[in-house]
Amino acid sequence: MNKEVIGKLRRILPSAAVVEDETELLVYECDGLPLFKNRPDLVVFPRTTEQVAQVVRLANEYRIPFLPRGAGTGLSGGALAVEGGIVIELQRMNRILSIDIENRIAVVQPGVVNLHISQAAAPYGLYYAPDPSSQMSCSIGGNVAENSGGPHCLKYGMTTNHILAIEMVTARGEIIRLGNPAGEPIGLDLVGVIVGSEGTFGIVTEITVRLLPKPQAVKTLLAAFHSVEECSQTVSDVIAAGIVPSALEFVDAKTIEAVEASVYKAGYPLDAVAALLIEVDGFREGLEETSNAIVEICRRNRAYDVRVAKDDEERAKLWLGRKGAFGAMGRLAPDMITMDAVIPRTRLPEVLVAIDRMSERYGLGVANVFHAGDGNLHPLILFDSRYQDQVEKIFGMSEEIMKLCVDVGGSLSGEHGIGYEKKDFMDLVFTEADLNTMMRVKQVFNPDGLLNPAKIFPSRRGCTEIGKHTTTSTAEIGKKVEAILLGSPQKVQH
Amino acid sequence: MRPGSIEELAEFVSSDKGAIIPLGAGTQTFFGNPLRRADCVVNLGSLSRITEYVPADLTIHVEAGITLEELEHTLLQNNQFLPLDPWSGPAATLGGIAAANAQGPFRAVGTIRDWIIGMKVVEIDGRISKAGGRVVKNVTGYDLHKLYTGSLGTLAIIVEISLKLRAKFVRTATAIARFEDFESAAAGIAAVRHSAVQPVSCEWIGPENEVWLKFGEDPRAVDWQLRNLPAAEWKICEGPDEMSAWERLRHRYNAFGPVVVRAIGLPTAMREIIQEYRPGAWIAHALNGILLMQIASAEDIGRIRQKYRAIIEKAPLEVRREIPTFGLSGAEYDVMKRMKDAFDPEGRLNPGRHVDGEPHRGAVQGN
Repeated sequence: MNKEVIGKLRRILPSAAVVEDETELLVYECDGLPLFKNRPDLVVFPRTTEQVAQVVRLANEYRIPFLPRGAGTGLSGGALAVEGGIVIELQRMNRILSIDIENRIAVVQPGVVNLHISQAAAPYGLYYAPDPSSQMSCSIGGNVAENSGGPHCLKYGMTTNHILAIEMVTARGEIIRLGNPAGEPIGLDLVGVIVGSEGTFGIVTEITVRLLPKPQAVKTLLAAFHSVEECSQTVSDVIAAGIVPSALEFVDAKTIEAVEASVYKAGYPLDAVAALLIEVDGFREGLEETSNAIVEICRRNRAYDVRVAKDDEERAKLWLGRKGAFGAMGRLAPDMITMDAVIPRTRLPEVLVAIDRMSERYGLGVANVFHAGDGNLHPLILFDSRYQDQVEKIFGMSEEIMKLCVDVGGSLSGEHGIGYEKKDFMDLVFTEADLNTMMRVKQVFNPDGLLNPAKIFPSRRGCTEIGKHTTTSTAEIGKKVEAILLGSPQKVQH
Repeated sequence: MRPGSIEELAEFVSSDKGAIIPLGAGTQTFFGNPLRRADCVVNLGSLSRITEYVPADLTIHVEAGITLEELEHTLLQNNQFLPLDPWSGPAATLGGIAAANAQGPFRAVGTIRDWIIGMKVVEIDGRISKAGGRVVKNVTGYDLHKLYTGSLGTLAIIVEISLKLRAKFVRTATAIARFEDFESAAAGIAAVRHSAVQPVSCEWIGPENEVWLKFGEDPRAVDWQLRNLPAAEWKICEGPDEMSAWERLRHRYNAFGPVVVRAIGLPTAMREIIQEYRPGAWIAHALNGILLMQIASAEDIGRIRQKYRAIIEKAPLEVRREIPTFGLSGAEYDVMKRMKDAFDPEGRLNPGRHVDGEPHRGAVQGN
């Protein structure tokens, strides 16, 4: 990196907030998806919006690609510095600026950890609803970028339904404020289109979120089944009965095996082919009846073991298995990749069977633990990165899973985003015209293409970007990744 | 022009070189900045099919010309509904409701933007493009449907909409209380905010000093909330009584005029706004910070905008010629204007009705 640029950055930021040491930069060569790696040239740690804006203006001046990064827990390579450049790490902008109890809103900086908002609001009986599985470490800025979900978005909606206003540094370094505390778009709904734009429209530096009153009561139950079909039918029947569970999670036998052998042991029945973790919340009144109705639906679908948690301790235990599932997979294979796709929930049985067959064909284990209520699949592909053939197979298998899901009317991602990982699959769901329109909108926000380049759009379309940066194809990066993975086998963190 | 298919519309739009005015049922034509030009009205009334409905998935895919009434009728057969009650009423088309971001009192589970999962549009060059998808949860590509919603048909013509749905509430009930005076009604609203009840609509109606609370979903939870209302003399309406009460309110709102603004502020600011601007009549979505006010004169719009964001809901043409509907300014205006230019560089779609009909001004006013 140009010494002049580094010198100028050190005038904007304290010296220690500009990292150029190659060893230190290694941490930033990937996010939660270590399948793709590329080292940025620099990482900066701003503490104020003005500093972010100045860094962005400097990057513009020298035509250096740049991108925001939160906690680095993203699972689609959204924070991958594909073309190197400057990573703007926002974790130090981590203050909760205000909580307005009466109006039920909080104003926070982007580096605030998702769970910390709910913790700060808890004394007032309020919480922030979207709860991605990484909520103990992921940042709210990253959630805004990815439009993150979580188990409870079945009832409460995704991040987009909870963001009222933002302050954003534009791709050219201007500071703008959009939205209002009523969450009521005035003119065009720019906030609505910025949430979920995966850090390609701007760098969000302040966020006003909606808080909800904590439900009076919660009921959590676990139902075990001898077949995937019966389990899937239960999902459909619960929804069809007009019940809106706050969570409806599917756990398969492989996951149960891993969980029960791990520290996350939750007492899930080991002989189950599939199980559902179902939660309902709301007013205390009526909740017992709703829970009973769900038990009845489970039994009608031949659930052989249905447990309703008696207290918070039992509830926590049931959730421990679900939340710890990713971590527990280490028992089954040294490496794992979490896929993300959505299908209409009525197509669950056939898709799960097809994935199972695929798993046999590829010779790679697949565990399924996912948000069944909204059809959001998370096949976990288990592999061993020391064997190159296994790494290669992942690319083929993930493409096949995407095609399968799109064929039944689904989509590429329910909550992880497209990022770098899935950009070449975008053709499966969108036409040339669709993608061109999206590109035009991107250019309104990011006219020079310097902000987070080479994301979302298929590689071959990279040339239509005004910035005309050289984009590395997925395959090329894949090769690099293989080399890295093969050189130093490492465990995938989740 | 009344296209019989999306392709026909696309073909026409790309061949015609004039100003195109998309039209649904025409229930919102008074909303927005005045048109600068109109060469051809495109009536979407014939594009009104339900293209796919999978009740078990709680999703429906419709063409834009279908009316809310037709849609609700179909959904009802499966005990489902779209939780919206725009003031424009059941005759409005889904395309029109989306384009105008039309709203009503029932908004505790969101507005139309929260129910749309995908859209297909015809762009001004005849290109047919889509965004979103057909599943309830999806982060694939940019959420352009959010951008089209509320764009008043100035970016592209909405031709298909995918929606997620809700199971019909097993029970609803509405509690109405009339308070003695303004202050006691304000205190009533504050008491609702501080209580454990969670109404799906919470309206503060003036100058009658009434508070309307609608509850829905689980019948036992509705009953509990009715038993735990803050102290006041509540009258409970259910069934046909409840329906006709809300229908009356809709007519009451539609009779507001000639100048009506939608002021936006924190829920706790509603009292102050009403006191300061003394509207002749008002309906506040009190828990959402949205206040619909019938105001005495157009000059008041400027006064309100000195402190708050406000949209002109309704006003005579001569007022709308003078005062911009959205009051956009600064950087937000710039981004919106660039967006309009990116979709419609020649300004042929509903010219002047949205951002392109607003003067460029400096810093954003209000808060």
